Amino acid sequence: MTVPKEMPEKWARARPPPSWSRKKPSWGTEEERRARANDREYNEKFQYASNCIKTSKYNILTFLPVNLFEQFQEVANTYFLFLLILQLIPQISSLSWFTTIVPLVLVLTITAVKDATDDYFRHKSDNQVNNRQSQVLINGILQQEQWMNVCVGDIIKLENNQFVAADLLLLSSSEPHGLCYIETAELDGETNMKVRQAIPVTSELGDISKLAKFDGEVICEPPNNKLDKFSGTLYWKENKFPLSNQNMLLRGCVLRNTEWCFGLVIFAGPDTKLMQNSGRTKFKRTSIDRLMNTLVLWIFGFLVCMGVILAIGNAIWEHEVGTRFQVYLPWDEAVDSAFFSGFLSFWSYIIILNTVVPISLYVSVEVIRLGHSYFINWDKKMFCMKKRTPAEARTTTLNEELGQVEYIFSDKTGTLTQNIMVFNKCSIYGRSYGDVFDVLGHKAELGEKPEPVDFSFNPLADKKFLFWDPSLLEAVKIGDPHTHEFFRLLSLCHTVMSEEKNEGELYYKAQSPDEGALVTAARNFGFVFRSRTPKTITVHEMGTAITYQLLAILDFNNIRKRMSVIVRNPEGKIRLYCKGADTILLDRLHHSTQELLNTTMDHLNEYAGEGLRTLVLAYRDLDEEYYEEWAERRLQASLAQDSREDRLASVYEEVENNMMLLGATAIEDKLQQGVPETIALLTLANIKIWVLTGDKQETAVNIGYSCKMLTDDMTEVFIVTGHTVLEVREELRKAREKMMDSSRSVGNGFTYQETLSSSKLTSVLEAVAGEYALVINGHSLAHALEADMELEFLETACACKAVICCRVTPLQKAQVVELVKKYKKAVTLAIGDGANDVSMIKTAHIGVGISGQEGIQAVLASDYSFSQFKFLQRLLLVHGRWSYLRMCKFLCYFFYKNFAFTMVHFWFGFFCGFSAQTVYDQYFITLYNIVYTSLPVLAMGVFDQDVPEQRSMEYPKLYEPGQLNLLFNKREFFICIAQGIYTSVLMFFIPYGVFAEATRDDGTQLADYQSFAVTVATSLVIVVSVQIGLDTGYWTAINHFFIWGSLAVYFAILFAMHSNGLFDMFPNQFRFVGNAQNTLAQPTVWLTIVLTTVVCIMPVVAFRFLRLNLKPDLSDTVRYTQLVRKKQKAQHRCMRRVGRTGSRRSGYAFSHQEGFGELIMSGKNMRLSSLALSSFTTRSSSSWIESLRRKKSDSASSPSGSADKPLKG
Amino acid sequence: MEEMPQHRLSRLPDNSALKQQKLPAHRLHFTTTRVLFVFFTTGIFCLCMGIILMLSARRTQEIEINYTRTCANCAKLRETASNFDKECTCSIPFYLSEKMKGKVYMYYKLHGFHQNLYRYIRSRSNRQLVGKDVKAVENCYPFKTSNNDTPIVPCGAIANSMFNDTIILSYNINSSVQIKVPMLKTGLTWWTDKYIKFQNPSLKNLADEFRGTTKPPNWPNPIYELDKKDPRNNGFLNEDLIVWMRTAAFPTFKKLYGRLNQTHHFIEGLPAGSYSFNITYNFPVTRFQGEKSVVLSTLTWCGGNSLFLGLAYTVTGATALLAAFAMKAIHMMLKNKQMSFFHQ
Repeated sequence: MTVPKEMPEKWARARPPPSWSRKKPSWGTEEERRARANDREYNEKFQYASNCIKTSKYNILTFLPVNLFEQFQEVANTYFLFLLILQLIPQISSLSWFTTIVPLVLVLTITAVKDATDDYFRHKSDNQVNNRQSQVLINGILQQEQWMNVCVGDIIKLENNQFVAADLLLLSSSEPHGLCYIETAELDGETNMKVRQAIPVTSELGDISKLAKFDGEVICEPPNNKLDKFSGTLYWKENKFPLSNQNMLLRGCVLRNTEWCFGLVIFAGPDTKLMQNSGRTKFKRTSIDRLMNTLVLWIFGFLVCMGVILAIGNAIWEHEVGTRFQVYLPWDEAVDSAFFSGFLSFWSYIIILNTVVPISLYVSVEVIRLGHSYFINWDKKMFCMKKRTPAEARTTTLNEELGQVEYIFSDKTGTLTQNIMVFNKCSIYGRSYGDVFDVLGHKAELGEKPEPVDFSFNPLADKKFLFWDPSLLEAVKIGDPHTHEFFRLLSLCHTVMSEEKNEGELYYKAQSPDEGALVTAARNFGFVFRSRTPKTITVHEMGTAITYQLLAILDFNNIRKRMSVIVRNPEGKIRLYCKGADTILLDRLHHSTQELLNTTMDHLNEYAGEGLRTLVLAYRDLDEEYYEEWAERRLQASLAQDSREDRLASVYEEVENNMMLLGATAIEDKLQQGVPETIALLTLANIKIWVLTGDKQETAVNIGYSCKMLTDDMTEVFIVTGHTVLEVREELRKAREKMMDSSRSVGNGFTYQETLSSSKLTSVLEAVAGEYALVINGHSLAHALEADMELEFLETACACKAVICCRVTPLQKAQVVELVKKYKKAVTLAIGDGANDVSMIKTAHIGVGISGQEGIQAVLASDYSFSQFKFLQRLLLVHGRWSYLRMCKFLCYFFYKNFAFTMVHFWFGFFCGFSAQTVYDQYFITLYNIVYTSLPVLAMGVFDQDVPEQRSMEYPKLYEPGQLNLLFNKREFFICIAQGIYTSVLMFFIPYGVFAEATRDDGTQLADYQSFAVTVATSLVIVVSVQIGLDTGYWTAINHFFIWGSLAVYFAILFAMHSNGLFDMFPNQFRFVGNAQNTLAQPTVWLTIVLTTVVCIMPVVAFRFLRLNLKPDLSDTVRYTQLVRKKQKAQHRCMRRVGRTGSRRSGYAFSHQEGFGELIMSGKNMRLSSLALSSFTTRSSSSWIESLRRKKSDSASSPSGSADKPLKG
Repeated sequence: MEEMPQHRLSRLPDNSALKQQKLPAHRLHFTTTRVLFVFFTTGIFCLCMGIILMLSARRTQEIEINYTRTCANCAKLRETASNFDKECTCSIPFYLSEKMKGKVYMYYKLHGFHQNLYRYIRSRSNRQLVGKDVKAVENCYPFKTSNNDTPIVPCGAIANSMFNDTIILSYNINSSVQIKVPMLKTGLTWWTDKYIKFQNPSLKNLADEFRGTTKPPNWPNPIYELDKKDPRNNGFLNEDLIVWMRTAAFPTFKKLYGRLNQTHHFIEGLPAGSYSFNITYNFPVTRFQGEKSVVLSTLTWCGGNSLFLGLAYTVTGATALLAAFAMKAIHMMLKNKQMSFFHQ
C-alpha cells in the first residue's frame, strides 16, 4: 500500500503493465528498428507500439478475474480458499462455510478496493498523459495530436518547457548548431541541464517545408532500458550518419531554454527508455515477516500433528466405541471403516483448528503497518519547514524493521552535508583570515558569532554572504596588492556563468558549489565577476569595470586536480591564474616562495583540521612570445587525432609551472543541521554508520571528523589504500592484528589463529577494546569485495566503530550493502539523495531518500523519504522502535489468543469421540477473530508506547532490543504458544470440572453442550480481553473504547444471536435460542468464568512482576524511573563543534566533473540566457556508470600522492 | 486520498494529539503495591468463595444408583433389537438413612453416551420441532425418512435415541405399604425451550397434524402419544423430549427426570426410610458399554452438588495468597539490595 503522492509524471514510477511483452510486434523479438521519417505507411508494417501508454492493470471487465487471480497467488489466500473448498465437502465439513468465507471475502474485498483505487489513479494519470497535445507534422502541416496518436516515424515539434512525448531523434532546433537543452530530472533525477545536439546535416532543417520532405531512415537498436546509450544510423540521401545518445531526446525530459525543436519519433509509448526503465521494484520483506512465515509454517506443521493425533484418536474411538454406537448414530454411507472415518476426521480437524493462523493475522499486520506509516507521514517533528516537505513512508511494509537497524550506509554529499559550500577562511600571502574573535579577542566557538562583516560599500555584494573577520575587508580596502590579486584570481579563474536580470542583481550559475562560493566571496570583497563572452571576462574591481581578454581555460579534470585561466589584462600583460589541490600545486610553485609556502602550509593544516576544503591559489606571469609559442603547441595538441587528452595535459602541465603562491582558500562543506548529534546518538544506540561516498578520501575523512563519526579519541584510524589484492590483504590483516593485539593485552585470551577458522571470529573482533575506524578507498574496496577477501574485509570493518568508503561507485555501494546483508544477518539501512545512491537504496533492507536536493530519483527508489538527515534519529529511535515494539507485542498476543481459542477444540476432541465437534457456536468462531478480539489488539498495535518519545532519544540504548531481536523471536513465540495452550487447558478443564457434576439452580441439567459453549466462549473473551488490557502499556481513549467496546459487542451479539426473533426466522441456523439468558443467569457459570480468568491471568501477572523485579530491562527501568519522577540527567552527550588540530591535509575541493571550459571557449552556449547553464555539464551522457568508470580509471592511474599517506589518529 | 487537496494547500501535518501520537493516556505500571494488592485481594476473595462453596455443597444430599448391572437381565434382553416389544421391569430398593430436605430432583444419568458427536448434534430439525413444518427433515440425516420416504417426526439421531426408561420412585411407609412418590413432570426445561424452541403445530388434534409422518425407528409410539394422559405434555412439548433434545456436552451426563411434588408425606422432602425405584427398562446401553444410573439430589443457591468449584476456588485462593507472600518476600529482599526504582 503506497501512500499516494503528488508527482508531475506519476507514471514514471508506476509498474509496467504485464501486457508489454504481448504488445511486441507479432513477428517475434525486435532485432533492429527501422523508422522512416514522414512515412507512416512504411512504418506501420513493423507494428511498433503506439505512443499510448498503459500503466493501469485492469479495466472494468477484467478487474474481477485478474484481481482475484492475483490475490490468490498469495499463499495465505490460497490456503484459505483451500480450506473453504474442504468445507464444502459434506463428509469433512465441521464448520459451516461462512466461518471461512466471511473473513476471506472481507480480506479480498479490502485488497480489491485498494487495488481498484490505485488503478483508478493510474487510469487517470494514463489518460492525462495520453491526451497531452503535441504538434505533429502530418502531410507537411503541423497538426495538434494527442500523445497517444503519435507514431514512430512522425516528426513532432516541441516548444520550450514541454515534456518530450516520445524518444526522439533531434533533427533541428532554434539554437545554433542544432543544440538544445533538456532537463532530465524525471528520468535520472538530475536537475542540471543537459545539452543535446542534432547531427549537422539535419540541423539545417529549420522550416516545415524542408522537414516535410525529409525522408531519412533510421536503423537503430531495439528498445532497451539504457538511458545513456543509443546507437543507430541515419540513412539519408545515400549517406550514412552515425547517431548516438547525444542526438536523442528521451521521453520524460523537459525542453528548456530552447524555443523550439523538431524531433523524429524513434521509440514510442512502452518502448521508450523511460517506460522500459520503470521496472517493478523488488518487494522487500521485513525480518519479522520472514520469521512470521517460518512460524506460520511451523504452526501448519503443528496443525497437521494435532490433526493426526485426533485422527488416530477418531479411528480408535470409532473402532472401539463408534461401531457399537451405530444404533444411535450409524456411520455415514461413505464411511466403511474406522480408519476411513479417522482419515475424514483429520481433514475436519484441519478445518476447525485452522484458526491458529487466522487470515486476519495478515490483514491486521497490514493495518498496523499502515497506521505506523501514517504516523510517520503525520509527524510534525519530521517536517522540514524550509522545504515544506513532510517525511513520507513510501512503503508501508517495513516499519517495524526500522526498529532493528544495525548498519546505516550513508551517502555524504547532500545527505550528511548540505552540498552548500561557504567561503570560510583564507590565507593570503602568509596571513590567515577568517577566524572569528569574540569581544575579548579569544577565538570564538561556533554559535556565538559577533556581527558579520558589513559589505554595504559594495552595491553588487551578495546579501546572503556572511563573513566574520573584518580584517580581510580592511586589507582589501587599503589596497593590499596580494589581497587584490587573490580576489582577482578568484573572480577570473572559474567557469561560472553569470546572469544579471536587473542592474546589480547578479546570479551565478556554477558547475560546482565550491566554485560558486569562491566567486561569490570575490564578489563581496569587491571583485565582482560581471559577465563573460567566449573571449572576455568583465570584472568590477572595486567599482571599476575591467575587461580581461580570456586567452585560454585549462580546464579541471580529476588527474590534473587544478584549473587555470590565461588572461590578458587591459594593460596587455598576460597572466596565468591557477587554483588547485595543494598536493598538486605545491610541486609546481616557484622555488622562491619557499618561506611563504611554509606559512601557508601551516594554515592549510589548520584549515584541514577544522574539516574545511582547501585550495591553493597561484599565478604566473607569461611573456608574449612564450604564450604565443605555447598557444601554438596547444592548438596542435587539440587538433591531434589520437590521445588528444594526454597531449593537451602535457601542454598544460608545461605552462602551469614555476608559479607564484598567492594563498589558499578554505571552504566549509556545510553539514546538514544536526548531523553530528544524530550520528552520535545513533552510535550510542549501537548502530554502525558507514559512509559510502564518491568523494575523495580527504574530503570524506574531513566530513567524518566534522560529523563526529571519527574522533580524536579513537584508538586508531586504519586507512586502506592498496592498489593490489596483496596490498589490501596485508593492510586489512595489519589492522586486524592491531585490534587483536590490543584486545589481547586487555585480557581477552583469544589468539588469532584459534579464532580465524571458527565463526567466532566476528564476535571476538566485535568485542575488541578500543575504538577503531576504517577508511577504504574505492580501488582497494574493489579488491576487498572479491569473493576470497570479502569476509576478511567485512570482519575488519565490522570491528570498527566507523567505516568510510571513499571514491566508491554506485555499484560498489550496493555491493558493500549486499556484503553486510549477506554475512551479518543484520538489518541495513541506506540513506542517500542522489541517483548514484539508488542501487544502494534498493539493495538495503530499508532505503531512505533525502528529498529536496538532487532530484527525485533516490526518493523514488526509497522506502522512506524526508528532507534532513537528522530526522533519521527520530525515524529509527522513535518510530522504528515503537513500530517494532508494537508489532512484537501484537504478534505475541495474536498467537496467544488464537492458540487459547483453538486448542480448546483439541481437548474437547477427547470427550466428543474425536468427531470434530467444535466447542463454540459457529458464529462465535466466525466473529472471534474479526470482531471480538481484533480491535483491541489493533489499537495496541497502532498506539502502544512503552516509554515516551523523548526517553527513546535520551536513552538510545532502548533501541538495542530491536537489534538483538529480543521482543519477538522463536523463544518468545514458544512462550506465547505455551501461554495460549495453558489458557486453553484451563479454559476447557475448569468448566468441564464444574459442569460435569453441577446442575442449574432450578435443578435442570447444566452440562448441556450449548451452555458449555457459551460459558467457554464468554470466559475466553473475558480472559483475552483482560490479557490485552495487561499487554496494553498505553491506555488511550481509543484503547478503552475498543476493549470495553469489544466486550460489549460480544455480549450484544451473543444475545442477538440467541434471541427469539432470529430463531423464528431461521430455526435451523440459530440453534442457540435462549441460551445466553439462561446460561448467563446462572451464578455457577459466572463463578466458573471468574475462576478461569483468575487462574489464567494471575500467573501472567506474577511472572511479569518477577521479571520486573529480578531481570528488569532498560525500558522497564526507564518507565519506573519516570514513574518515581527521579529526574535523571539525560545521558545526552553534549555535542559541540570543537576544532581539531591535526596533521591531516584537506584536499582539492572541486566536484569530479569535467569543467565546461571548452564550451565556454567555443562560445556555443553563449546565446543562451545564462539560466540555461544552471550547472550543466559536458558529462551529458548523464550516466553515472560512465562517470564512474572514468573516476575509477582516474583514481587507479593517478599517483597516490599525499592522499594515501596513512593518517595519524 | 481525500486528503490530497488539503495536502497541497499545506503540507504541514496537523498538530493533533492523534497524529502526533500524544493522545492523553494512562500508562499501565506493574507497581509492587498494585500487584501485591491485587494478589492479596484475589487470594482472599477466592479463599472465601471456595469455603462458602464447599460448605454449601456439603449441605446438599445426593443418592446415585447405577442400575446397569442390577438390571442385567433386562439389559441383556434389550441388546437384541427384535425384543423391542417385550416389556422388562426391574426394581431397585434402597434405604435413605437421612431425610432429603426441601426440593428433591430425580435425574437419570448416562455413562458413555455421546450426545456430543458432531453428526449427532446436527441431526435434528429445529424447523420441525418448532412446529412450523413437520415435514422439514433436511438436517436430520441419517434419520430423515422411513424406508418408504415418509418423513420421521421428530427426525434425527437425537430424537431417535431418546431415553425411554420409565422410573417410578416408591416409598415404603412400612414393610407392606408402598406408595408412589409423587413426581412433577413440569418445570424440567428452560422456559425458552418450552415456549419458543419447541411448539406443536396446533393444540387441537396432534394426530391429525402429524398425519403423513412416521415415528422414529427406535420409538415404540409416535410423537403424539408420548404422554397420553396430559395433552399439554405431549407432542413436541413433551418435557422428556425437550430435556433429551438439549444435548449434553460430555459423554457422562445426567438429565432431569422429575421433581418431587411436595405434598402429603413429602411436604418437607423425602423422609428417611426405604425406597425403591421401579424401572421399566427400555433403553439399551450395554451394547456400547454404557451405563445408566438414577440420581436423587437436593440443591443449594448455586445449583447442584459441585465440590469441584469450591475446591478449585480454595486452591486458587491459597495459591494466590502464597504467591503474594512469596512476591512480597522477593521484593523485600531485592529492596534491601538497593533496587530502589521499584519502590513507590
